[in-house]
Amino acid sequence: MTTDLWPQVERLLRESGRSIERPTRYLNHEWGCTYKPDAAYRFCMVYPDTYELGQANQAVRILCNRVNLVEGMAAERAYVPADDMADAMRAAGIPAFSMESCAPIAEFDAVGITLPHELAATNVLQLLDLAGIPLRTENRTENDPLVMGGGPCVLNAEPYAPFFDVLMLGEGEEVLPELLRMHRDMLAQGVSRADMLHAMAKVPGVYVPSLYDVVSEAEAQERGSWIVPKYDDIPTVIEKRIWEGFATSDAYEPQVVPYAELIHDRLNIEILRGCTRGCRFCQAGMMYRPVRERSADNIVAAAIRGLSETGYDEVSLTSLSTTDHSQIEDILRRLNRTFEGTGISVSIPSQRLDSFGVDMAELVAGGKRGGLTFAPEAGTQRLRDVINKNVTEEDLFTAVRASFEAGWRRCKLYFMIGLPTETDDDIKGIASLVQRAYDVAKQATPEGQRGNIRMSASCALFVPKAQTPFQWDGQIAPEEAIRRINLLRNSVKYRAIDIHWHAPDVSQVEAMMSRGGREVADVVEAAWRKGEHFDAWTEKFSLDAWKEACAECGVDFEGTAQRTYDTDYIPPWAHLSLGIQTRYFQRERQLADEAKTTPDCTYEHCTVCGVCMGLGSKIQLQGVRS
Amino acid sequence: MMEGEFKIRVTYAMRGRLVMLSHLEVARALERAVRRADLPFAVTQGFSPHMKLAFGAALPVGVGGDHEIFDVTMTEYVDPDEALRRLQDASPYDLMPESVEYITREVKAASVAYPFGTYRAVFDGPVDGLQVPDSITVIRKKKEKQLRPADFLVGALEKNGNEMLFTLEAKPSGSLRPDVLVNAMLDGAEDGLVNTDLGAARSDTRLHVVSLMRIAQRAE
Repeated sequence: MTTDLWPQVERLLRESGRSIERPTRYLNHEWGCTYKPDAAYRFCMVYPDTYELGQANQAVRILCNRVNLVEGMAAERAYVPADDMADAMRAAGIPAFSMESCAPIAEFDAVGITLPHELAATNVLQLLDLAGIPLRTENRTENDPLVMGGGPCVLNAEPYAPFFDVLMLGEGEEVLPELLRMHRDMLAQGVSRADMLHAMAKVPGVYVPSLYDVVSEAEAQERGSWIVPKYDDIPTVIEKRIWEGFATSDAYEPQVVPYAELIHDRLNIEILRGCTRGCRFCQAGMMYRPVRERSADNIVAAAIRGLSETGYDEVSLTSLSTTDHSQIEDILRRLNRTFEGTGISVSIPSQRLDSFGVDMAELVAGGKRGGLTFAPEAGTQRLRDVINKNVTEEDLFTAVRASFEAGWRRCKLYFMIGLPTETDDDIKGIASLVQRAYDVAKQATPEGQRGNIRMSASCALFVPKAQTPFQWDGQIAPEEAIRRINLLRNSVKYRAIDIHWHAPDVSQVEAMMSRGGREVADVVEAAWRKGEHFDAWTEKFSLDAWKEACAECGVDFEGTAQRTYDTDYIPPWAHLSLGIQTRYFQRERQLADEAKTTPDCTYEHCTVCGVCMGLGSKIQLQGVRS
Repeated sequence: MMEGEFKIRVTYAMRGRLVMLSHLEVARALERAVRRADLPFAVTQGFSPHMKLAFGAALPVGVGGDHEIFDVTMTEYVDPDEALRRLQDASPYDLMPESVEYITREVKAASVAYPFGTYRAVFDGPVDGLQVPDSITVIRKKKEKQLRPADFLVGALEKNGNEMLFTLEAKPSGSLRPDVLVNAMLDGAEDGLVNTDLGAARSDTRLHVVSLMRIAQRAE
């Protein structure tokens, strides 16, 4: 029997009056929830940030649905309470709770935490602490829930390793229910926690960090790996899981409709998975290979059913690169026809510059003409070739012309500062490119409306990510980043163009977390103990706290983020494999130096990354991409 | 109203945990219920098309209502019982439509239709000691303002065991929120009217509001 904390939570919310912001975050009972109060085995899926960010997350939705499909198993959701609520809960002795049954998280059989980005690390500890679960696997007892993790950060799991009993690499649709079933059976048999972890470590795609010792840097370079298994029968390389059923599975899924306003508050239909454009900085592009498309019929039917069940007025066709879908025009035309006159808009999360033509401009966003965002990433053709961003200036100008002629008046362009091989000419190139894009926008806009044109460039410091061809490249120092951004600002002559710059503080921590080894886990805990959490919220983040934490733990903050290695260097994540061969990363890194591009294998020939061959998977398209 | 447009007024109850919703959140939840009910709602023309929907007077966060209203403009006539059934199937229990009627263009907009609201406050103890203060200080747009409850209260405030019943009038110049009135009465009680001998433990023995509901609304 689970404890229902709602009477206590309700009283807390009522008594606190307006001192707790957005009580709706904690209400639960949203439309579309799945309740399985009689399920004997209970799993809690956590997004390590507040409700309004987490409720929009696709991993939580997908995985809860998958687990709820299992007979006798319930999946509930949980989020990190904001500080006002967390303080009130601590004062009232209320532990972190789940949404559906408002039960203490520590009462669940297993807790799954998705790791969406590097800055969520301290929130994992915040949540575990509020739940009353020991932070480290070594301190957990037979009575504590099994703490599982997954998501992008597992690509370099080491900075998170001590906090998780089990980590899953790759797509969780199959492996999560598989592990939970195993856990349920072993609980019934009275298997000890240690034996359970040992058994789970043999499941493909599963990494149990506590069963591996970490060796010194020198030894790692010698051995070709930083880890040594404690048992002979567990793998030395963990390969990611792929859900082979994705393309043929129903694009419709039950979706919770929140009462609180979310960041992306709309129906989401995942139309394809994977992107093989092969941008050399992009971790997502490496992670979700190979490309798999769902069919137009499947997608259109799912959007119609989803909207009628949720009551949303917007549907987003999500993927890493939606306009690459071989049937995207057909899908958009059919949806627009179906929803005409209902005030429903169809949106796509990102626009590819080279496929965003006049047709596409007409098809997205219905009558709404909000802002458009394009990501040239670099200011010169040379540097775009280095990073394998296969778009040209002409692609950008064509897209800007099409969108401004179709009625858009706002356009934001994304760039990265500090990409490998970047020079001052590349920085000045950003200014030149944005100014010429502005000229194109002006030409495409009727004279009387030109005052409404907004063109901005948004710049962020490049973060080298694990499991990409740029994983060996160091981040540039913050002082140098500031010099370059000032150079950019001084190079822009048009006063109508805004340059937005994300302060490099956060990016430095991201780089350290993305590239660090298991020693960085101590830094995470030290930073959390200094009060760091909600690091993704600018007002909560303190670079000094992270630097002090590094100093206390003897970790070289700057070095971890900024050191550049040869491509034969063995990184701390070498034992975690996406199925992509190291040779591919090395070859891509070499081609970057030569400013030579590599084509997309869904349009041209195979680029021998190794995923299809190594993992026995294959590209699944619904038609010919053009 | 354009030819071929039909307007319904929906009465609904807002209760349970959903009394915590803000007015904006209620509005969004109701719009989604109308979409789920698949009523033939009208959509505004123009740059950003949206459903033609109008809401009754807002309730403060934490205050529920037994008979709240919203209006939907529709492009086709639907039998009111059928419309109600579809809305109910598409709504959560705590935000439940209870009646549907067609209204004419002469009927006042939902937001100003009912300036008089009657509230029932339920506490976890007897309310005999609670008194209406002469004046309440509220902060509006960062300015302090004095409100006299007597200007807003209509008729007598009734006390009955653990319950209190009162009617407030919303005036064009402003209104007194029911939760503000109740809290002011509780604060007054804490400042010396009850339990003065309990000293430090005072705030623990303070009365708590169990529920605060708008139980009726009327035009005059």
